[in-house]
Amino acid sequence: MDIVIDNLPFLLKGAYYTLLITVVSMFFGLIIGLITAIARLKGNRFFRTIARVYVSIIRGTPPLVQIVIVYYGLVDYGIELGALTAAYIALSINIGAYVSEAFRGAIQAVPIGQTEAALATGMTEAQAIRRVVIPQAIRIAIPPLGNTFVGMLKETSLVSVIAVTELLRSAQLLVAQYYVYMPFYLSIAVMYWILSTLFTFILSVIEKRLSVY
Amino acid sequence: MIQANDLSKSFDQHEVLKNISLKIPAHQVVAVIGPSGSGKSTFLRCLNGLEMITGGTISVNDHLLQATDNKKLRQKTIHAIRQDTGMVFQQFNLYPHKTVIENVMEALIVVKKQSKEQARVIASQLIMRVGLQEKEEVYPSKLSGGQQQRVAIARALAMEPKIMLFDEPTSALDPELVGEVLKVMKELADEGMTMVIVTHEMKFAQDVADRILFMADGQIVEDSEPRKFFEQPSTERAQRFLAKVNEF
Repeated sequence: MDIVIDNLPFLLKGAYYTLLITVVSMFFGLIIGLITAIARLKGNRFFRTIARVYVSIIRGTPPLVQIVIVYYGLVDYGIELGALTAAYIALSINIGAYVSEAFRGAIQAVPIGQTEAALATGMTEAQAIRRVVIPQAIRIAIPPLGNTFVGMLKETSLVSVIAVTELLRSAQLLVAQYYVYMPFYLSIAVMYWILSTLFTFILSVIEKRLSVY
Repeated sequence: MIQANDLSKSFDQHEVLKNISLKIPAHQVVAVIGPSGSGKSTFLRCLNGLEMITGGTISVNDHLLQATDNKKLRQKTIHAIRQDTGMVFQQFNLYPHKTVIENVMEALIVVKKQSKEQARVIASQLIMRVGLQEKEEVYPSKLSGGQQQRVAIARALAMEPKIMLFDEPTSALDPELVGEVLKVMKELADEGMTMVIVTHEMKFAQDVADRILFMADGQIVEDSEPRKFFEQPSTERAQRFLAKVNEF
């Protein structure tokens, strides 16, 4: 227990990176996901196809493979990314695909009469989507998005393989130094759990906020 | 104000509207009645482009829409037509995430690019006009069906339409709530609004409309004054329909 407390600052720094990677990837993932969902539902054939292929590839390949492709694979083409940057990119692209599925279902769940009412008042299709459909869809999408984000938080552990010192790798480094496993792995497990619980809590607060009507 | 020439509408192979031609002058109140599946609602939805005509032409306030128009021209015309028409739906279709006043303000801000303050003043007046001034800050889910429909009318009026389209505005309401909506509609008619109303309220059609269009099987079977239509319908189809309606 003492060695954990002695090394707590180091572990907390790992937790900070885990959180940072999660939040940054979530942010870009949300943008990518929303654009992809709209492309799939309202885009012309070209954009629909691109969006569909993107979602299919991401969902059909392991995130670990996606991460090593971005970090190690791109080097072959002269693109050398920092480990953290590579983590942001790979995970944003990854989560974007899942977010787009959540948004797509949510947008389809908004009754067609809402769009028609907006169009009838003279809005363009784009205005109707932005002002009427999306705000309602976001609320519908929150529960599935919550699952996606908590999954994301745990998946960040994968970027330890490209030497980003997030939670898992901080523990691994300490294990290598002290030759004891359980205390470090157990403490990071607790930290992941706390973070997940925190996330779920924040999302439920947001959901409550949005369900004023 | 509205002119249709040979207007047709098909969904795939199924022809819902067959060569409809008619003229509706300004300030006229037209009630469209007929059995379900006769194409009444589809006809109404063709008037503001929620359904695209597949044959003929339609002209609304001098915006001419032709079935042969390319997509770009069509969108432009429909957009122009919608600036001049307001529509009220059977299911109200209020925006559930916005309060009553926000529902009415929305198009003023988004389409007419008014400031929030301006929009609020106009919206407030309209909400008063439909008698819901105490409900301005309430969400639609807290309103009765009749109140929701009155808000929907206020929302449509906010854009200062030249023509109001009503798609069975009282069909989803409990019987005791129908009157308050019809009252607002009658006031509109008295003010000289051009109105096309798809309805099952025969009494209302008889009292308020200037003209009855009786539709069956995608065609206008009878086009006459209310009194003549209800007392001496000239076609056998209309006679049968009225006999059924009056059965109880």
